[in-house]
Amino acid sequence: MIEVTNLKKEFILSRQQQKELNTKEKTALAVDSISFRCEPGRVFSLLGPNGAGKTTTLRMLSTIFKPTSGSIKIAGIDAIAQPQEARKKIGFLTGSTGLYARLTPNELIQYFADLYGVSKSDLAERKERLYTLLDMHEFQNKRIGKLSTGMKQKVSICRTMIHDPEVVVFDEPTSGLDVITAENIITLIRDCKTQGKTVIFSSHIMSEVDLLCDDMAIIHKGKILFEGTMQDFRSNMQADNLTAEFIRIVHASQNA
Amino acid sequence: MIFTIFKKELKDTLRDRRTLMMMLVIPVLIFPIIMNVFVSISASFQKEAATKKIKIGMVGEKNNFLFQELKAVPATVGPKEIIVYKDTVSMLADLKNDSIQLGTFVPADFNQYLDSMKPAPIVFYHNATDMGMQERAEVYMKIIEDKAKQARFKKLKIDEAKVQPIVTEYRNIASDKEMIGKLAGGMLPYIFIAFGFIGCMYPAIDLFTGEKERGTIETLLTTPVARWQILFGKMGVVVLSGLTAATAALFGLFMSIEVLDVVDNKEILEIIHSILSVKFILMLYSLLIPLTIFFAGVMIPIAVYAKSFKEAQSIITPLNIVMVLPAMVGFFPGIELNTVTACIPVVNIVLATKELIAGTLDFGLVALSFTVMLTLAIVAVIVSYKRFDKETNVVM
Repeated sequence: MIEVTNLKKEFILSRQQQKELNTKEKTALAVDSISFRCEPGRVFSLLGPNGAGKTTTLRMLSTIFKPTSGSIKIAGIDAIAQPQEARKKIGFLTGSTGLYARLTPNELIQYFADLYGVSKSDLAERKERLYTLLDMHEFQNKRIGKLSTGMKQKVSICRTMIHDPEVVVFDEPTSGLDVITAENIITLIRDCKTQGKTVIFSSHIMSEVDLLCDDMAIIHKGKILFEGTMQDFRSNMQADNLTAEFIRIVHASQNA
Repeated sequence: MIFTIFKKELKDTLRDRRTLMMMLVIPVLIFPIIMNVFVSISASFQKEAATKKIKIGMVGEKNNFLFQELKAVPATVGPKEIIVYKDTVSMLADLKNDSIQLGTFVPADFNQYLDSMKPAPIVFYHNATDMGMQERAEVYMKIIEDKAKQARFKKLKIDEAKVQPIVTEYRNIASDKEMIGKLAGGMLPYIFIAFGFIGCMYPAIDLFTGEKERGTIETLLTTPVARWQILFGKMGVVVLSGLTAATAALFGLFMSIEVLDVVDNKEILEIIHSILSVKFILMLYSLLIPLTIFFAGVMIPIAVYAKSFKEAQSIITPLNIVMVLPAMVGFFPGIELNTVTACIPVVNIVLATKELIAGTLDFGLVALSFTVMLTLAIVAVIVSYKRFDKETNVVM
């Protein structure tokens, strides 16, 4: 379960950033008092155009960023007061996730298992299950730097799931991947849902959201424009298709 | 957790060829190569200077005392050939174009000066860019002057001892170890500082900026490990790399002395052996560990702030000069460890190491140097932590 209430994030702008953004404002509001709830066994999607505040929101959920105000509860744990406890419950994967190129998949998985405090027996069992599921046995001892993009993505998935997280956060997980490689991610999200995990993923592609999610929120300029089930979104649609409806909502907020 | 991160970062660092080159290969090889080249070049120069047959131009009468005596100087002092010139202009022209290496003008009344018991004037011309020529002339003239002096004493029937009222003897009370420590001891801390800095540089950039650039830091920050633990684990590897590079450089220096025999003076070799005791090495490291932590603490905030490897390198490289320049103080004789110099970072380590080698260590001043460096190292670690804890610095 993820519970977000009045979450706000302001960044202090340096002089260089003020110059780049052509503004005299000393702060930039990336996320403006948003609230939503993600249920276990359901897939929640944060949909928005580039620069909407999706990544900032997900970085706050995964405790990389500290919110300016508001509250976040991850599996019942206050993520602001107890970030380390909350992190134990989270699996985090982004489309741009880098891996340590000089390590092998085995070494990398062992490292993250150690960081999450996974016991030896749990590690052996989970590693075997994930390696078989993702067909990773063949390249487990090759340096990651020498693996293909698809193989690297499998290692990333295995790394994300090795501590069996209750909550899984995906930040544009299929970005930059070909359809075959992206399929691994889609399968993973579906598996997480079947296992009763809470899944939140961000995307700017409506078709991907339609394919996977049960609940969704449309975010633009740090504000939530729509929050509800996918069913609600479809039934209240004013445009011809889902993508057009998404664009209509974003444009309507800009004109308001 | 710190150890888990340290272990992984160490493994990662040891697999990076660039870091390995800077940390181990170059420091180990640089001294054997430099010292071997230096010793063989200087030996060949010395040999050439001592055995080179030089041409001495002379303007003056052929039967003058100097001409005859110069001819009589044995070739063992240095072979020579005397060429007589009619005028100084052509002699100086030849000296300038290196046809001759020394020129002398002997006045026509030179012998009369000697006969009348007056000091006979003489001018020697030399080109100072042609090393060792003045010294060669001085050797020749010492022999000739001594001979002329003896002849005068004999003629005047004077006992030489009677015209020398005072005999002064200068006795050096400093031990050879002290001399080496004070005069050449600055080299050791310089090596440590220079290589310690370079050794820290690549891992600092790779483990902080590199991780940011490669997009791996975000994942690491989502693990249930406190940021200070991540920082300490990484910093441990940076410090270890600095110390390893410095140790490798010392090992290279040791190999040059022991295996390549660049020091052929047995007494000096014995002194070097007596300096390199376990106690000395332990004390040296106790001074250098806070220094290396300080280096790491200075580099890490820069590496955390920089957005790319190139940016970090362009800021840290000039910093090398700022840090290593004070280490040059060690080469100046006369600057010693006192309450003022003990408070100047880097300089204090260099001077304390010099005292350590010379065996003239004041423990109070060493403790002050250590405290100063430790305080700075702690400040540097705090600054690093503040930087690393700033979310916008860590995540791009």
